[in-house]
Amino acid sequence: MLASILASGLAAGAIYALVGVTYNTMYSTSRVMSFTAGQLAMLGGVFGSMFTLKLGLPAVVGFALTLMACAIMGVITEFVAVRPVLKNLDQHLYVLSTLAVALMIQQVAAIKWGTEPQPFPRLLGWGSGVWDEKFWLPVVACAITILSLEYLYRRTLVGRAFLAIAEDNFAARALGLPERNLRIASYALAGVIGGVAGFSGGELLLAFFANGALLNFYGFVPVALGGLGNNRGALIGGLALGLFQQAANFLVGGIFSSVAVFTLFIVVLLAAPQGLFGTSTARRV
Amino acid sequence: MAISRRDVVLGGAGSLGAASLSFPLPAIADSEPIRIGCLAAMTGPSSAPTIGFNRGVNFAVEAINAAGGVKGRKIEIVMRDTQGDPTKAVNATQELISQAKVHGIWGPLNSGEALATTPIMARAKMPDIHPCVVETLIDPVKYPHAFRLAPSNSQWDDAVRNYCLNVLKVKKIAVIGDTTGYGVTALGASVAAFKKDGAEVVYQANIDSTQPDMTPDMLRAKTAGAEAIVVWSVSTGMEARMFNTRAAMGWDMPFVGHPSMASGELAGLVEKPENWRKVYAIGYKSCSYDAAGKLPPKSQDLVDRLTRANVALHDTLLWWIAGGIDAIELFAKAVETSGSTDAVGIVAYLNSLTKYPGYFGNYTFTPTQHNGYPTDEIVMSEASTAKNGTFALAPGYS
Repeated sequence: MLASILASGLAAGAIYALVGVTYNTMYSTSRVMSFTAGQLAMLGGVFGSMFTLKLGLPAVVGFALTLMACAIMGVITEFVAVRPVLKNLDQHLYVLSTLAVALMIQQVAAIKWGTEPQPFPRLLGWGSGVWDEKFWLPVVACAITILSLEYLYRRTLVGRAFLAIAEDNFAARALGLPERNLRIASYALAGVIGGVAGFSGGELLLAFFANGALLNFYGFVPVALGGLGNNRGALIGGLALGLFQQAANFLVGGIFSSVAVFTLFIVVLLAAPQGLFGTSTARRV
Repeated sequence: MAISRRDVVLGGAGSLGAASLSFPLPAIADSEPIRIGCLAAMTGPSSAPTIGFNRGVNFAVEAINAAGGVKGRKIEIVMRDTQGDPTKAVNATQELISQAKVHGIWGPLNSGEALATTPIMARAKMPDIHPCVVETLIDPVKYPHAFRLAPSNSQWDDAVRNYCLNVLKVKKIAVIGDTTGYGVTALGASVAAFKKDGAEVVYQANIDSTQPDMTPDMLRAKTAGAEAIVVWSVSTGMEARMFNTRAAMGWDMPFVGHPSMASGELAGLVEKPENWRKVYAIGYKSCSYDAAGKLPPKSQDLVDRLTRANVALHDTLLWWIAGGIDAIELFAKAVETSGSTDAVGIVAYLNSLTKYPGYFGNYTFTPTQHNGYPTDEIVMSEASTAKNGTFALAPGYS
């Protein structure tokens, strides 16, 4: 039982963490919580299945095309749902606009792809039982993504420009950084991360249009637990969520596991409203 | 020629007599087409059954009209696409009744729409035949014009319970449903009925159909000593995960339950074809083949006729096509027997049927019972054996 809790808990947790990082990546350059994050991950599974299973392309080609398609969806999100409302961030119109785009993505996926879950191919065929690739692939994908992002943000000029925009938008613009282009690039990057989440978790979650709403919800929990904009917090929050959820499934089962998860979530937020790893910001009065 | 007063009187009397015996009027009512409205979700996510039903409807209409119609009257189908949306179904129902002036309605074809349209049809006294499973859709007092052609959910439940207890002869049952309204309701009813019949329900759970790993619930069911798992869900993803988990656990135990467990999509969702074995989904005698691969003679005759008419069977279910044919033929017989398209005559005819031999089943309706499908014609099918919309009988049937 413990092995099963660890295997499926870590796998689900890694997917949630990646969706949390998708939220963070979009948030960092725009200060917008875009509720398309879960849908981008859902599209990762759907596009992955379409390219590799329906069109019969090699897994590597299918993976590359999936990431491209998700990046394009990320950019579309920026143009359609984020840019028009940036001037009125205090009115929180982005909640409505990003939810509307998320709903559109979900409905189009349901109509064009179908409302029943579709199979996702075995990518490598390695492992069985609790070592099956459907369990360890999302964990490996998550680790590689987090390490790559750390490298990008800390060792490259573009990454530092992202951080500068995230830190102080006006100052970064005053220094001549192309804020708009960097924002578009960060949304494309978010699309890629969402695509990685969906593709690596495809064998576990299947290619299913309803995964979008599920991942939107469970992907937001690590962001809130780990602190908004904190990728390491999202990673730890995501893995903790996955493990706790799976343990609750074993112990109380069925719909009660969701109740247990959200009870704990509310308790944590009551104790640490800024998240476990977030920092509370001072407000000038 | 001189015209006498007598001639004028005779002529006048003759003219008056002729006028009183007016020319025969054209019998418009007796020659106009019989209009049958169809509320069909032809597009949208729940269109799969409609596609099958429509093939049967069109086949029946073409056959009847080619044979000269019903006492010379052709059948005209007035089709409306509801897209599976109850609002659109309500609008289409009102339009069919008040503007298209149909004589009877076939559909809607799913329960969500039927819950919205049935009261409207009852107010308009519109004869309606539908195949929807929700219990409350049939109530001869509230809805005396509504007739169910397919089994109700409780009939499915009875058939599943009978198979588990009397054919498989298992006593320890696990019942699993999804978290939809249907899953919760069906699970509750099923558990209560099993307990009433003396079975031991050792495990019951409503599971979110998107839950990625079914090991926890399957493990609990196994630990509780379940000898069969009864499934009430339409989620093929959840069902496939349960079948795969059973195989991974090395557990040799049957699944019995909802017809969606025989959905063709499961072939791609199970990790190995053998994971789909020992899964028994609700099916029908008329659409099941025996160990020798033979359908009942009447069903085989229908399949042959459909094949000759180039009606595709490979991508749908035979019972959908057969149900569509039966619905149209029931309306046609009702008009033929009652001699008119009046609702009263159609309803009276339907209420008089005892074991009417349709292709899908032998229907019986009375003024107080509008669930026409016989429970003893519901059987379990081997879920993975689909062949031209028919399935192999599950083990235990002679």
